[in-house]
Amino acid sequence: MSRTHHHPEDVLLMEFAAGVLSTGHALCIEAHLHYCETCRAAVSRLNLIGGAMVSQGAETSVPDEIFDRVLQCIAADEPAPAPAVHKPVGKPLVATLMDLPFDQLPWKRQLGGVSVYDIGASQLGCGERRVVLQKLAKGCKAPAHTHHGDEMTVVLQGAFSDETGVFLEGDFVLRDDSHTHRPLAVGNIDCISLSVLDAPVRLTGVFTRLLNPLLH
Amino acid sequence: MQPSAARDSWSELLDLVGKQKDQRAFRQLFSHFAPKLKYYALCNGLASHGDELVQEVMVTVWRKAETFDWQIASASTWIFTIARNLRVDFIRKMARTPTDGALDAEVLLGVPGEDEPVANVQRIIAERQVRELLPTLPIDQREVLGKVYMEGKSHQEVADELKLPLGTVKSRIRLALTRLRVQLEQS
Repeated sequence: MSRTHHHPEDVLLMEFAAGVLSTGHALCIEAHLHYCETCRAAVSRLNLIGGAMVSQGAETSVPDEIFDRVLQCIAADEPAPAPAVHKPVGKPLVATLMDLPFDQLPWKRQLGGVSVYDIGASQLGCGERRVVLQKLAKGCKAPAHTHHGDEMTVVLQGAFSDETGVFLEGDFVLRDDSHTHRPLAVGNIDCISLSVLDAPVRLTGVFTRLLNPLLH
Repeated sequence: MQPSAARDSWSELLDLVGKQKDQRAFRQLFSHFAPKLKYYALCNGLASHGDELVQEVMVTVWRKAETFDWQIASASTWIFTIARNLRVDFIRKMARTPTDGALDAEVLLGVPGEDEPVANVQRIIAERQVRELLPTLPIDQREVLGKVYMEGKSHQEVADELKLPLGTVKSRIRLALTRLRVQLEQS
């Protein structure tokens, strides 16, 4: 059973399992997996394929001394083995990247009830405005906008609705640039999402599009 | 199904490494997996770092063997995820993208047993089915799977390389998944 209703496509989960997604995209999938047992089971199936592909794949000879080096590294370990990296418990990885809870982050106000925190630039070394947290204040509707390329979104807090449906905490959405949309925050709480953008957002409303140069 | 029948010989060896730090078992695992891991590294374009990656993977296998549980994933699946994670980290380091321990691929992409659903018989059956059915895939399906898993390419990159529409690449992948009886409930 899964609490969420909007999932990544099977082929996208495969890219995740194969380790070919960008950090931003992988963070989105990881966040969705935090909420979705169905997709976690899917990823474990997809890992099986990776295992079978490697073990049925071709071979390339490895010099004997590599095994000796492995033994040396292991011997150097004992008796204290290297500490394991622990996955954060109880929240998606993205939420642990910041020292502050969501409501205390230095949000930058944009138009309408929209605020942005550029997590990509500050924490991930990505280009600007490509991996962001977006906050839509409760009850607010974002200005009409579209984007060049894809936008991948996972809801981390609250919920929003738009022309295509209602999206709750943990829901995953991948949109292309073929339509414009105006998300509306629903419920009595700000809606916060992780959003990975191929290109900056373009405002499309009759008046707001004049503001596009100012936002970039 | 008897548990011992469901466990393959590599998983048994890895189990010995985890429980008893059995170096002879580890030697056998190395002989079997190292050449395959090196091929994996080469397919991913890490030609001059193949040995290095193999070494890192096998050291990690030893260190983490205590956490290996054959009921959650077989040795080959488990070792694949370790190799995948280290490959991702390696490539990021080479690209000099600032890395941060919190974003190590091990934490981002996971390792079976650390965040997976409880072991079940279906998973054990699926493991065997994939192993048996993979060699029966038609060439075009095998090719696209190989480019994603073994060469580290995204679907778009595969489409560009093979000069196919993206939709065709995705269809082939879905056909392969069906053929491998990897039914993803949500699709």
